Amino acid sequence: MPTLTPISEKSGIAGLLDAGERHFGLFFDYFSQYAKVRVSYRGDFFISLATSFAATIFALSFVVVLFQKVPQLAGWRFEEVLFLYGFSLIPYGIFNIVSLNLYDFGNNYIIEGKFDRVLLRPISSLFQVLFETFRIESLQEVATGVFCMWWATRHLGLAWTPAKVAMLFFFGLCAGIIYISVFLILSTVSFWFEDRIGVHPPVWNVMAFGRYPLSIYSGMVQFFLCWIIPFGLASFYPSVRMLGRTISPQYAPLVPVVAVVFLTIAISLWNFGTRHYSSTGT
Amino acid sequence: MAAAPVRLIRGPASRAFVQHQRRAPVNARIPNRMSADSLIHVQELSKHFRTFKRREGVWGSIQNLFVRDYRTVAAVDRVGFTIERGEMVGYIGPNGAGKSTTIKMLTGILVPTSGEIRINGYVPYRQRRQYVKTIGVVFGQRTQLWWDIAVIESFKLLRRIYDVSQRDFDARMEHFDAILNIRDYLHTPVRKLSLGERMRCDLAAALLHNPPLLFLDEPTIGLDVVAKDHIRQFLRAINREFRTTVLLTTHDLDDIEELCRRIMIIDHGKVLYDGHLAQLKQQLLRTKQIKFALKDRTQAGCLDAFSRDGLEVDQVDELTYRIRFDRVKVSTSGLIRKILDAVDVRDLLIEDEPIEEIIKRIYAGEAHLEVSV
Repeated sequence: MPTLTPISEKSGIAGLLDAGERHFGLFFDYFSQYAKVRVSYRGDFFISLATSFAATIFALSFVVVLFQKVPQLAGWRFEEVLFLYGFSLIPYGIFNIVSLNLYDFGNNYIIEGKFDRVLLRPISSLFQVLFETFRIESLQEVATGVFCMWWATRHLGLAWTPAKVAMLFFFGLCAGIIYISVFLILSTVSFWFEDRIGVHPPVWNVMAFGRYPLSIYSGMVQFFLCWIIPFGLASFYPSVRMLGRTISPQYAPLVPVVAVVFLTIAISLWNFGTRHYSSTGT
Repeated sequence: MAAAPVRLIRGPASRAFVQHQRRAPVNARIPNRMSADSLIHVQELSKHFRTFKRREGVWGSIQNLFVRDYRTVAAVDRVGFTIERGEMVGYIGPNGAGKSTTIKMLTGILVPTSGEIRINGYVPYRQRRQYVKTIGVVFGQRTQLWWDIAVIESFKLLRRIYDVSQRDFDARMEHFDAILNIRDYLHTPVRKLSLGERMRCDLAAALLHNPPLLFLDEPTIGLDVVAKDHIRQFLRAINREFRTTVLLTTHDLDDIEELCRRIMIIDHGKVLYDGHLAQLKQQLLRTKQIKFALKDRTQAGCLDAFSRDGLEVDQVDELTYRIRFDRVKVSTSGLIRKILDAVDVRDLLIEDEPIEEIIKRIYAGEAHLEVSV
């Protein structure tokens, strides 16, 4: 068996930076390519935007209905839950915008053999799969999330200091990376097992758990949502930090660490998986 | 519409193209062990796939989840060959022979189970990103281009992906247009192109970065005669002018006859023949056939004598007969004389066995030949 060696143009840091710069430029090229496709089907874009927004609103209205029956949820007021809910929509939106292809990866790329073409291009295969298409209408999820947070902080009387805004960007990004990494890891399963649907759907539903205070769940579930599929960790502890609530333990500083660890695992598995790719018959 | 003869323009446009000379790879990790001019060097190359027997029905597919009967299939089995710079080689074989698997290993898509590949100084699967910059690939059944947008947009993105300068890009586009006449539909979405138009665009896309090596998997599949001819002329032209090495798989033996001096025949993952097409014909073209039409159907009975001599006589239609014979054992002129003596012939035609028949016999294992490497 051949040994595993990382594929990069130049070796070391210089190579990584070089490749990074090239891919950064190509990101915009890929995005504009996607935009051109979307523009060629104008009606389709507005319909997806409307349906996607409706889905967000329906899910959100559940929280509103819930708090008309109960005043508090494990010591959390409506505005606080709304803030958390809003924050969790940010990584969810980022994930949706970038990772549309992952959801259908096994079917589209592995079984249909589209991955052949990806491997024939002199750029990262992961880059191509992530950015070959986007779901730009999911920007509404990020926007709705920000709106919820803004509304909640206004009613809670919290001020948005520059430090908090920076925190929002930073933790939003970390959480987004965690979401994408989890689904990337699940996608790599397709390199070994040919299944059309893949293992995404159950985990997809786990995302909903990350929208509520972790403290409402039992210990086992909390552990699962923090360390196995860390959607809870990604949204709960940063929100606690931004809301200024005291809770112990404070895991917020671990969020970027978990993000880096999950991303590393995801990329390693991806690179390993591409060597297992067996293509289609023709 | 008749396809115009292909001429490559000399002058400013050609500056973007450099004749592909041997170029030392920048970052080859393994010292170059092959002969000075060979471009592709393959040794003992194998690819095994682990497949399992799929059970049928709902219950069967549930069982498939848990219990699987695995077996290992050697899609490519210890294949070895060398291809020199500037060659055009046809790689042929029946469906499932291992052609595509070989091409996929050569292009870096698949990692071989065992064996060695060195192309242009690279190990394709290990140095994929650098390596694929030096090859062009066209899969006849699948397009490289973005389906929903204008062809030119795909070209522009490919220019960025392959890091081709704007000057080279413009020059090459002009050039491709001169040979392939693609200007008219550069602004049409790929999905609205005919297969022939799309194939021309795919060829242009594969050559946009001016690779010294071009892989073609079924490049003429599904094309009409004119389009096929155009593609073949184009391939001949780039091979002649730029010494682009071409390796193509095909089911259309006309492709081979018109393009390749050398062919490799593969079946069950093994190379059965590797050598010149002319030599193959000479070695195996033992059967000839004479077709003739009788003036008078009453004379048909006279032909029984030929059957008794051990010749194969078929009736093609009411008045036309065909005799097949081994040219080593039977002299052609002698046989013609015999026929003319026996019956009144209105028309007569001597034919070689079509190349398809030879290939079919090789696949069937009837033709014993020595693999000349």
